[in-house]
This record gives sequence, structure tokens and C-alpha cells, in this order.
Amino acid sequence: MTPTTSYDLVVIGSGPAGQKAAIQGAKAGKRVALIEQTREVGGACVYHGTIPSKTLRETALKMVHFLHATDVFDFRMRDDLKIASLMTRLDTVVRAHGKFMKEQITRNGIDRFHGRAQFLSDREIQVRGLGGNTTTLTAPVSVIATGSRPRVPDHIPIDHEHILDSDSILSLVYFPKSLTVLGGGVIASEYASIFSLLGVQVTMVDTADRPLKFLDPELTDQFCRAFEKTGGHYRGQQKVQHAQWDGFSKVTTLLESGETLESEKMLVALGRVANIEHLNIQAAGLTPTPRGLISVNDQCQTTVPHIYAVGDVIGPPSLASCSMEQGRRAVCHALGLNPGDAPEHIPMGIFTIPEMSSVGLSEQEAIEKYGGDALVGRAHFHEIARGQISGMTNGLLKMVADAKGGKLLGVHIVGEGATELIHIGQMGLLHHIDIDRFVDNIFNFPTLAEAYRIAALDIAKQRKK
Amino acid sequence: MTVVSTIPTEESETETFRTHIVERLQQKELDLPLLPVVANQVLLLSGDPNADSSKLSALIQQDQALAGQILRIANSAACAPRSPIVSLQQAIAWLGMNMLASLAFSVSVQSGVFKVKGYEKEVRTLWHQALATGLYGKEIARRNRHNVENAFLCGILHTIGKPLLIHLILQARGDSPAQPSWAVMDTLIQESHILAGTKLAEAWQLPQPVQEAIRFYPDEAYHQANSPTKGAMITCLADHLATSIVDPSSLDEEALRALPVVQDLNFYPEDMDALLELKDSIQQSVEAFLV
Repeated sequence: MTPTTSYDLVVIGSGPAGQKAAIQGAKAGKRVALIEQTREVGGACVYHGTIPSKTLRETALKMVHFLHATDVFDFRMRDDLKIASLMTRLDTVVRAHGKFMKEQITRNGIDRFHGRAQFLSDREIQVRGLGGNTTTLTAPVSVIATGSRPRVPDHIPIDHEHILDSDSILSLVYFPKSLTVLGGGVIASEYASIFSLLGVQVTMVDTADRPLKFLDPELTDQFCRAFEKTGGHYRGQQKVQHAQWDGFSKVTTLLESGETLESEKMLVALGRVANIEHLNIQAAGLTPTPRGLISVNDQCQTTVPHIYAVGDVIGPPSLASCSMEQGRRAVCHALGLNPGDAPEHIPMGIFTIPEMSSVGLSEQEAIEKYGGDALVGRAHFHEIARGQISGMTNGLLKMVADAKGGKLLGVHIVGEGATELIHIGQMGLLHHIDIDRFVDNIFNFPTLAEAYRIAALDIAKQRKK
Repeated sequence: MTVVSTIPTEESETETFRTHIVERLQQKELDLPLLPVVANQVLLLSGDPNADSSKLSALIQQDQALAGQILRIANSAACAPRSPIVSLQQAIAWLGMNMLASLAFSVSVQSGVFKVKGYEKEVRTLWHQALATGLYGKEIARRNRHNVENAFLCGILHTIGKPLLIHLILQARGDSPAQPSWAVMDTLIQESHILAGTKLAEAWQLPQPVQEAIRFYPDEAYHQANSPTKGAMITCLADHLATSIVDPSSLDEEALRALPVVQDLNFYPEDMDALLELKDSIQQSVEAFLV
């Protein structure tokens, strides 16, 4: 007979969203169970996504810094450079992260279950272990945080050997000579720029006329220029009819235009799908959306009020930072705790090379929301002493203000350090800081933060007298 | 009068060979067979970012026997050509660069190291097992998103110490016409093949993940491996699955599912179902690869 254990809260999935949900429950003094289908905690973010790709990115950037200093160091890239040697820090980083999370879960008295979860009813969840053994957990509240995985398009046979997805791309042990990247979103752009920088001939193919369409065009223009400078090509407004390994030496991609592209490997990054197939959500009274997601309200409550869903399973923005907050807030709501003010201005960080980050309204959104013209101030990194000193001249900080040039509405940055630099703008937006405050105050010199002052001055001089 | 038998008992014979093997493996300058020239060149070519199919084609054409084997394999049912393969160029085009490199490597190793007079049947079984391990390794790697090419190489070479030991034993026998029984051979192979394989892998300068898989693939050892490609762990399960093909009576499906490595790879019953379903296609591919 299957043993049954009662909990106050059951969380399914231990990625950023699930982990924060479980910890919030435990901090509130509740008895919490956390179910994870893999051996380690942390989810795809740690093992296939954010952490490994950012480690690769960091190493690639270090190499670029060396290359920039070739007049000082006698440095050239080895011909037999392997990804594995670039990822030397990966194991250490991943292990340290996993250990930290495990300790945090244990310290908070959360019970971990290793297995696949499936709903038996809206308050009963069965955990099936690797050996097929089962345990049933019951709880008045549950949180679904099972994350997502790469989408497999019907017309592209991903074999993880020649045609890879964003999980298997990091299993490569050598750099291919050429790589076709299908997709123009965050994952596609991040990997395309990293591999291009490392000397792989990269071609991005997407239906949109530019990559990362949701970002300010000035940012993506700069990204595209940097990408092309490293030898990359963006083929926009192209549909792929089919792609396949030719069984010989290359992957051929037939575009609907009739053109054929050839490359040694292919990365397919055409979105992600929610991991709900093992959950049997129908038994809990839930139905997936036509896009295979779980629909929720502002509190992350599903149509069954005591079942919450957070993170990638509910769809965009699918950012680890937002997922963590969703997990925390969902459990606060379930337990009747005050979660604090809802986050107003969530920054978006894209770890391309160069980085891009954005918070608040874009120029177009500001015009649509407030009518009239929005004032835009720009600071190019080549105008900033720190940019010159560090060789980070390829960057732009763009501040968006209302038509009077007084109220800050958004900040958009492209360039190294963008994902850190954005937080000044975020704090400015949260505390309704006027544009003039950026002019009147003193920033450390020489730093990239000086760009805020330059952009604010640019707005100030555009004001109508 | 006491009669002293001069016919060695199986035990004493084993002990003599054991002593010889231990002495030889402890020698600094171990006289190991060279990695067959073509296999070595294929290995170099695989790691060369500037390599292309024409170089591989030229390499194969230098070796008549290898070219013949490639043609035979390209025409086999496992490769399912649309029309008969009549030329090497056609075979290359049909099989593909990677498949061809794998074939050239395995055929070359098989013809070199895995060729021992008097033990053809047994050595063929060893090679059968190695190939099946390589092919299963690819499928395991595919499922858990590890490197597929590396898993194949680890699989086909993980027991490379076995044929080496046979060579060493035959050397120890010297000019004696009597061949040691396979039981004697097998005992010694089981005892020392990992050490022998490790020595050979070092001498051949095989890639580090492959050396690690040879050393640490057994159940009790794969935890010691630290290559991110997880070649040792993958090869461990692949070796068990291959054993179930080569010697179906040794390991039934239930025993396979209960192996600790299955859980360590985080394989659920449905993952194992998928792997076990590949049995026939892997068997077919192995038959095609066998010289």
C-alpha cells in the first residue's frame, strides 16, 4: 500500500520559483514538502540554462579581454580549443550553487522527495520514485513550479548530436566551424553571440525582422552590429521549411524562400514548453491552455484556488528573477501573509554579448501611454571615461522621460555591465526620482554609472524653454 | 618411485600467466601494440577542426581492406541504402562523415588489436560487446543530453584492455604449442583488463574522457570519474545493456532495471523502456559493424 503523508504545503519543482515558494512556506512555520524529479535541486536553470550558459559567456568574455590586450600579452586562441576547457569553472559553480540550495532547503526543515509528481486529486499528489515506488502526499495548498524545456518543432529532427537544442548545446566537446541558430529570442541571441565571439561562423534565422523584437530597436541595432563584427549573420523574415542532417558532413536548412543554408551543427531555440505532461493536472480539476501552460490570476492562483502555479509553467516573462518572486508571493497569498507591494518595475536582463537590459517604458510605450513626445537622453559608452579605460566603448544608455523632461519613465542599456547598471534606473523609477536628480548628484568617477548623468543632461538640454 | 607430472594444471598455468601479466604491466616501457595507423589518423582527423570529408575519404582509400569493409557495411540492412552502394564515394555520401569516421575507427581497431589467432570466436564476442556498448552509449547520452560522439568512443574502447591481455598471455606462452583454455584466459582478462586498458589508453594518448571511462566504467568505480561528459557512468549502463544482447541469459530485464547506475543516471522506468526497445536496432547495427 502506498504510504501517505500530510503536509501544509506541497511544492512541485525545485527551480527558482519552487525553491522560493517552499522556503516562504517553511519560514511561515508550515510543514513543507518539495518534490523534484532530478537528483539535484535547482532545476534547468542550474544544470542546462542560466548558470552553465553564463559560465561559458564569462569565460568567452575573459578571452575577449585578453584579445583586446594583444599588444601587451602575446595571446592567441588555441586551434583545438574545446568547450570543456572553457567550462572548467562550470562544475565548481554548479556544485556550489546546488550545495547552497540543498543546505538552505535542509536548514529550513523542508522534506525533499525525489521522484515524478502527479495529481490524484486537488489535494493529493503521488510521488513516483526512480524504481517505481510511490508515496502519496496530501496538502491543503500546492504550488506547481515544474518549469519548462526546449520546444521540439515537428519539422526539425533534433538528434542532440548534429541538431541540438538549448539543453544539449552545452554537451558539445569541440567548437563546430559553423552553427545555424533557429530563433531570435533570448536563448537564441545569447548563444549566437557567445559562439560567434568564440570564432564559430554563426547564422541566426528567424521570422522577425530583428532579434529580440520586444526590446528597444536602438539596443538590438547595436547588438546586431556587434554580432556582425564578430562574423555573425542575422537572417530575418525567414521561415524554415525544414532542416536536417545530410547524413554526411553538414546540417542543411531549407528556407521557404528556396534558399539553402549549410552548417556543421544547428541550435534550435524556438521557444520552450511547460513541463506538465507527467502531472495529470486534470485529476486536480485543471486544464492546460491551448499553448500548454497553466493559467493563473494576479496572485498566481489557478482555477482551483488552493493550487498555485509559478515560473515558466505559467508563461512569460519566464525570468528566473520573476519566478522567484512569484513563488514567494503565491505562498504568502495562500497563507494569508502580506507579500508587500507588488513589484512595479521588473528589469529584464539579456546576457548576450554585449549585454542588454531594460526597465520601465520604451520610447514608443511612453508616447502611447502619455501622448505627445517623450524625451530621450542618450549616453554612448565611448563618451565615458570608464568605457574608454575598460575598452567597453560599444554601449549605449538610453533614458526615457515624459514630454516635459522631468519624469523618468524607462531606462534601456546595451553594453557590458548593462544588467548591473540597470538597477540604478530601477531604483530611480521605484522612488520616482526626477531627471534632474541624476544631473545634480555625484557618481563615482570613472564609472559607467556616469552614463546616467550624461543621458539626464541630454534630456535637460532638450526641454522647451 | 614417484612420478612427477609435467603437465601444468589449470591453476598453475593461470598463476604463471598472472605473474607474467603483472610483471609486464608494471614495466615502465610496456611493449604495447600500436594504435592501428588508420585508426590513429581517423582519431586525429576527428579532432581536427579543419578536417573534411575528402581527407577521410583519402585516408580510407589508402587501405584496401578498410575500403572493402566500408562498402560491405554501407550495403548492409542496418544502413538501408536506397540503391546498391557501388563506389566508395557513394558509400561516404550515404553513411556520412561521422558514421564513416566511427566505422573506419572501429574496423581499424578491430582488424588490429582485436585479431588473435586461435581465439577468433571469443575475440569476436568481445568486439561485439564493445560495439553494442558504444551504440547503447550514444542512445543513453542522447537521452540525458550528454555528448553523443564521446559516449560512442568510450563504449567501443572501454574494454580495449581485454585483447591486449590476450596478446600478453600468448607472448608468455612462448613457443609452446598448447593454447591456454579460454577459461584461463577469461579469468585473467577479468582480473586485469582495466589496468591493461588504462595503460594502453595512456600509451595511445586517447582523449581524457575516454581514458577515464576505461578506468572507471565498472559499477563500483564510476563515482570516481569527474569528466563532465559522464562517459564512465554512461558506459557502465551501456556495457550492461550490451551484455544483455551478447549473453541474454546473464542479465534479465528486471536485473537491468534494478542496477544502481540506472538510478544514478536518473532514469525512470519509461526511460529504461525506451532504451530496451532499441535492442533489435542495436543488434542489427552491431552485425553490420562486425568484420
